[in-house]
Parts: sequence; C-alpha cells; structure tokens
Amino acid sequence: MSLNGFLNGLSRRRFIASTTALIGVSAAGGIAGRAYADEKVIKIGFLAPLTGPVAAWGKPGLDGCRIWAEWVNEAGGIKLADGNYTVEFVGYDNEYDPAKARTGGTKLIREDGVSFIMMLGGDTWPGVQPVADKTGMLFSTLLPSDLSPDTTTLIAPAEVHPIYNVTGVEWLAENRPELKTAVMCAQDDALGLPSVATYLAAFEAAGIEMQSEPLLFDPATTDFAPVVTKLLADNPDIVCLDTCYSDYVHPICEQLFQQGYKGQIISCTADFYDQIIEKTSKEFMEGFVFQFPDFDDPALNGEGINFKDPNRFFEVYNERHPGEWGAVSWEYASIMDLWKSAAEKAGSADPEAVIAAMQEGGKGKHAFGDAEWWGKDLFGIDNALVGNWPVVVIEDGKARIKAMKSIPEWYAKHGELLKKHMAAYGQMWDQRG
Amino acid sequence: MLRAVIGIALAAALVALPHGLSFSQQEILVFLTINVLLVASYRLLTLTGEWSLGHVVIMGVGAYASALFTKQLGLFVPLSMLLGALTAAAVAWALSFPLFRMKGFYFLIGSFAAGEIIRLLWKRFRDPFGGPKGLKGIDPMPDFSIGFYDFDFFEPVSYYYFAGTVVAVCLWIMWRIEHSPVGLTFHAVHWQDKLAQASGIDVRAYRTRAFVIASGFAGLAGALLAHYIGTINPNSFDVEVMVFVLTWAIVGGTATFYGPILGCVMLTVLNEIVLRELGFEQMRPLIYGAVMILSILFLPKGLESVVERLVGPRRARA
Repeated sequence: MSLNGFLNGLSRRRFIASTTALIGVSAAGGIAGRAYADEKVIKIGFLAPLTGPVAAWGKPGLDGCRIWAEWVNEAGGIKLADGNYTVEFVGYDNEYDPAKARTGGTKLIREDGVSFIMMLGGDTWPGVQPVADKTGMLFSTLLPSDLSPDTTTLIAPAEVHPIYNVTGVEWLAENRPELKTAVMCAQDDALGLPSVATYLAAFEAAGIEMQSEPLLFDPATTDFAPVVTKLLADNPDIVCLDTCYSDYVHPICEQLFQQGYKGQIISCTADFYDQIIEKTSKEFMEGFVFQFPDFDDPALNGEGINFKDPNRFFEVYNERHPGEWGAVSWEYASIMDLWKSAAEKAGSADPEAVIAAMQEGGKGKHAFGDAEWWGKDLFGIDNALVGNWPVVVIEDGKARIKAMKSIPEWYAKHGELLKKHMAAYGQMWDQRG
Repeated sequence: MLRAVIGIALAAALVALPHGLSFSQQEILVFLTINVLLVASYRLLTLTGEWSLGHVVIMGVGAYASALFTKQLGLFVPLSMLLGALTAAAVAWALSFPLFRMKGFYFLIGSFAAGEIIRLLWKRFRDPFGGPKGLKGIDPMPDFSIGFYDFDFFEPVSYYYFAGTVVAVCLWIMWRIEHSPVGLTFHAVHWQDKLAQASGIDVRAYRTRAFVIASGFAGLAGALLAHYIGTINPNSFDVEVMVFVLTWAIVGGTATFYGPILGCVMLTVLNEIVLRELGFEQMRPLIYGAVMILSILFLPKGLESVVERLVGPRRARA
C-alpha cells in the first residue's frame, strides 16, 4: 500500500468523524430550512460574494433562490426518474476572491455533494475553472465573458451580460431620435470593459455619436465629481453609465444632479433606484433607461414569460428583504427554473445528463421568453441562452418595462460592429488570459 | 534533546494534519501555509522599526513575475518561483531609494503609494499583466512521484506538502537571519538607531537589507499562491489584503518570531472555518472586526503575550 493510499484511508475515517461533529454543531446552531432525514434531497451550490463590495450581486440572488426552493418543495419538489426530491441551497461566500472561490467549489462538490453550482463569475471563475474541469460539475455564471471552449460545463443561461445592453440603446434611438450625442464612463475592470465595447457598438448601430473616448475610472474611485465634470464638458445628450456597480451608479447620479445635468441617462443597472431618487429627485430620474425590471411589473404577466408568478415573487421577496430587490434577485432563481426543467426531462441530476437535456435542439426557455443557445462567435461556445430582454424606464419614480427587444435580431444586423469593438477592447474569448 | 523531540513531534503533526481535515479545510490549509510565509516575512521587515503598507503588493510582484516567467518564457515552475522571489527583492531594492529617505509614518504612507503605483501599472498595461482581469491559466506545479508518494498538485494535500516544505525552509532561514549579527543589528536599528549610527552602522543600508530580504520571501509566497490557484489580478494584492496581514501581526504580536504566525493561524481558523461552520457566513466581517478590537483592548501585546505568560515561568524554573 502506497503512502497515498494509507493517508487517503485515514482521511476518509477522520473526515467522517469531523463531518459528524460538524453536523452536531450545525444542529445545535439551529440552522433552519433543512430537509427531514427521510426525504430525498438535491443540493444546489451557491458560490458568490455574500459579503464585501460585490455582495449586492450575490446575496439577493441567494435570498431569491430560497423563496424559489420553498415554492418548488411545496409543489412536490423535483421529479426525477427515481422519485421526488426536495431542493436545498448550500451557500458559500467567495468574497469575490478566486482563491476562496476555489475553496468553496471544492467544499460544495466534495463535501456537500451538490448537483449544480451557480456563480456570479467574473474574477472568481478562473479560480474555480480547474475544479470544474477536474470534476465535470455543471456551473452557471451571470457573466458570459467567462465562457470559453475550454470548459463545456459552464453555462450562462440567465444573463448575457453585457450583450443585452444593446436593447436599451436601440429603444432609445427609436423613441428619442432627437438624442444624437453620448458620453460614457465605466470602471476599468472585467465587468466594465466588455460593456463599454457593447455600448460603443450599440451607439454606432443607432447612429449616436460618441463625443469622447469612454472614461475609464479606477474601481477604487470614491470621488466622482471630477469624473462627472469631465463627462459633462461637451454637453452630451446622453450620459451612459455602462455596467457600473451600484456603489458607483449612486454617487455618479448624485453628481450629475448636483452639476445640473438634465439630459438622458442610460445604464445597465439601477439597483436600489429608490435610494437614488431620494438623493436626487423624481424629476431628475424620470426617463432613466436601464435593463432590470421590478418583478411587480404587469408586463411580466404577459404570454411568453417563463418565470413563475413574478408579481408574487417580488411581493414575497420584498416582505422578507425590504429594500433589497436588485438586478440579481430573480436571476439565479430563473436559472433554477431552467435546471429543474432539464433535470426532470433527463430524469437525473447528473451534470452531463442535465446539460444535454437543457441544450437539446439548441433552444431553451429563458425567463423573458423562448431563446436559443448561442455565443460561438463571441465566446467560442454556444453556452449562452439568448432571446428577448426588457428595456426598463423609470416613470414617476417607478421602474416600468417599456419594451421586450430581441438580442438575436439586433446581432443579426449589427454583429460585426459588436465583434469589432469587443476585439478593440481585447474582450473576444481568444484574446483573454 | 527535548527540543529535537518537540521538533520531530511538530513535524509529524504537520505532516498528518491535512488528513484530519475536510477537503475545503485542506484548501484553507494551503492558503494558510502561504500566508504564514507572508506574515513572517512582514515581521522581518518590521525588525528595523519600519511598517510597510506595500508588502502585499510586493508579494504580488513575485506572483506576477513568476507567472510571466512560465507563461512567456516557458520556464520550469520551481525555477520561475525563485526568479519571482528575486524579482520582488529587486523591485524592493529599487523602491528602497525613495522610500528610505523617509521614516515612520512617512515611510508607511510612502510604501502605500509605491504599492498603489505598482498595482496601477498592472491594471494599465494589459500586455503583459492582463489589465484589471489579471493573468489566468498560470501553469501549475508539474506533478511528480517520489516512489512512495505521488504529488498531484491539483490536490491540496500535495501542494500543502510542497508549500509547507518551502515555507519551513524559509522560516528557518529567517530565524537564522534574526539570530545572526545582521538580525541583531536590525534590532539595534529599531530600538537604538542613533546609538547604532554613532557606532558606525549604516542604518539606511540595514533597513534596505531587511526590506529587500523580506520582500524576496513575500515574493516567493506570491509565486506559491499564483501557481496554485492559476489566476491573479490586481485586486488579489490590494490594501484590503494588507489590512489582514497587519491584523495578523498586531493580534499575534511582533515581539517574537512566532507571534505573527500565531495571529495568522488563529484568525484564519476563526474566520474561514469556525465562523463559516457555525453558520455566521455573512456576519464574519463584523465578528472578525469585534475580535480584533477586543484583542487590542485586552491583549495589547498580542497573543504571544499569553503564550509567554504560560511558558515563561516554566522556562524560568528550568
């Protein structure tokens, strides 16, 4: 027997002992929401920032997933070939750090036995990628810029960030044709840059002139007065806030308000926009265009929407987590809808079977309507689910969906523009790394 | 004799340790081992009385350099790690010229500024540093076998043994430095710099020496990290990480060689294992902060003072 074999045997025995102790501690801690021992349980991993500056794109998603799990479990759980399973989410706070994401991925797969792991992605994905490649676990990301042919088990089924941003610009050009010039600012990071390339393509396609090069600021920036002063120097018709984190969107809007800007604002997100209105005014925020609806929007009750009971989901979410609704509150739950449907179709939670069922026929049911698996041009692999995306406008202090626009239709007309700008910013999949 | 027995028992315990842990705890153990080298090297720097806010960035210099040596030049990973450490030492040497024109608080701020400049360079120059997204796909340590044990460096246990051996050798070298005439001079420069100067000691040269040596070890820690996780970016070495290193050093105490190591081990176990497993996942920053405040209030000389209180009387009796 080799030393490895001896040590591995020792490891398993001790591991069982330590796991037993851990279960005891967990039970003593009164962790709620666990399934009963005689129930069959499927565990789903949630590996995202739950603390720190990027937590706004992690924690609200886990809160949304817990509501989703309650609803699914009440309705009988997930129906696989060998019976019904209840769903349980196991969270791990990766603090948006690749090393902690690797530790979390290892824990979720090798200790918790999860069947699927949802991530925010971005900086944390390269830390987890070797774990995904070694184990064959199915992962999802909200950022398709993580996709590459190297990992076939990584999918982007909810959000094709930043490609959907083209819909906001297209809508603006159709509905406010008098707007002819734009400026843009973004944080210089993995989220900001592909979004800059996308907005540049969208503005060019819409015939809107960029008055200056996009203003890239350091993610450590806290004083946005000079940024905004520079943006407003040429008196633009449109100020584009790209995919800024809410920690930037809020102070930039405050500065725009204080410096007297009265033009159009467009942004990828406007998380906690009620707080921005409090800091500025309802009039100032009127007409603000972004991409993430509140789920109490009546437009989401229409045909073709695949998210179950969005209005009720929004209501329950706000009851439990008042003031915390954000861009990702529904997204991870919508990924779970897709995963559940695929697992039930495959009759198994096995990652390979689930992804095969999910991508059968190249079509899928996205939260905002029927969609197609797409992405080879930009990501080297068709693992992003793309279809319609809403254009949201703030009216009288409330976000309202104004249109559902098709991303594939835009891409069919202007795809080459997008590729040109993505390549210029080094964002094509074969330029990364 | 007793020392040898204790040493052998400690080594045996460290070899057996990962096999008593869960998989994720083994991963944490790898990062803890690397952080032990980082914080011990930080203490070496503080021996001359200067506290830097750029130490983690210097660690990053080692990480970036080692990653680039393998990615761009195809060098063997262990060799690139050594070159990464030497690059970190060389950068520290270059920085010492402006920085050691300052002392105390001014050095602290100067080191922070120098670190931020380096981080901005990593962000600004996408080629070769990868910009804000940093570098990924960094070559891992190549697997090998020593007959009775197969090193598979994807597995945290194998990497722990490799990194643990490197860190043990580095700690031994640092311990020897501290107890050599050079190390005693470092102490003299800290506590009696005027007297040392009057005795003909080139105070600035010794401060530079401590800074460069400590930076070399920090660079090696960075290289060990880069080749394990396979990706690095400028945020991996920002001031937030530096605050953790300072916290480990302050909570552990810097009067003894083991003080910062003790702080690093205790706080990492608390933050990454105990609080997570007790279900306080999202309250960890709050609790961690409270522990730090309490330890400063009630243990101003660090955790090492507790050990000294326990072991000191026995030592005196012996």
